[in-house]
Amino acid sequence: MNDDALDPLIHVPTRLKIVATLAALPDGDTLSFTRLQDMIGLTPGNLIIHLRKLEEADYISSEKSRNGTVSITTVALTGHGREALGAYTQALRDLLGGL
Amino acid sequence: MNHTPGTAGDGGTFGPEQAAALLDQTTQQARRKFQPSPPWLLATRAVMVLAALVAIWLSVRGQHPYRGPTAADIPVLVAFIVVNFAATVAVRRRATAGVSGRSRFSQGEIIVLVLAFAAALVVMAVLGAAGVSFAWYPTSVLVIPGLAWAAIAAARANWLSFGTGLALVVLGVVGAFAGPAGSWAVAAVGLCAVLLGEAAAIAWQQRA
Repeated sequence: MNDDALDPLIHVPTRLKIVATLAALPDGDTLSFTRLQDMIGLTPGNLIIHLRKLEEADYISSEKSRNGTVSITTVALTGHGREALGAYTQALRDLLGGL
Repeated sequence: MNHTPGTAGDGGTFGPEQAAALLDQTTQQARRKFQPSPPWLLATRAVMVLAALVAIWLSVRGQHPYRGPTAADIPVLVAFIVVNFAATVAVRRRATAGVSGRSRFSQGEIIVLVLAFAAALVVMAVLGAAGVSFAWYPTSVLVIPGLAWAAIAAARANWLSFGTGLALVVLGVVGAFAGPAGSWAVAAVGLCAVLLGEAAAIAWQQRA
């Protein structure tokens, strides 16, 4: 088994951090963009780029809402994303166990 | 060993060992940051509750007949409750900032908990008026809120909190047999044990 077994969409440090952080929340919970940005330590532009890639793969979902004049964006790991992280974690275990 | 090059501007190589370490570190950090009842807070609360209630037990254990906590004990108890409540609210607010969904208590759950405490005081007052000996034991106040907490936890399938709620109910029942002074000791040791147990369980969950 080699690194090809690792989902290339998740196997990027920043996206792995994003997915792992969202996976720490209970299924169905959402996290605000600003809190996620604070936890990951990225600029808004960088975070948006990575979130877009994950959203295109249906690993995360995002929602925009308005609270008065303030626009709030929330993101959540989808069931598909949770499964993908589970498969990625298992692939890592297999890979490292086989070393 | 092959390495998958980082993409999307991450640069360099990112091997499986690094990925495993990063995944583990990020997961543990996120669990710690999202935890509304961190182990350190529970452990601190356990020590404080032990100190406060043992102090009261020491002052009431020699009373014949039993008259209850002295005027000097009341500020200690009130200070403990105020500090505990403020710390809990502050830590919980920080942990759940930006989080929406089941991690946060719903309005209905908050109302149930407030009503449970109010109901406990009403029931204790009624039992006290009826001359029931354990009506005003410190452990008696734990039964109804403990049941409410266990019910909410069961609805959320949070079995650790469910166990905590049931432990509070058991403490309330045990305290009823310990006598007026002894119930303070039961409350002190029991609450300390429950809080330390919960802290240990959460710490273990965070590392799992």
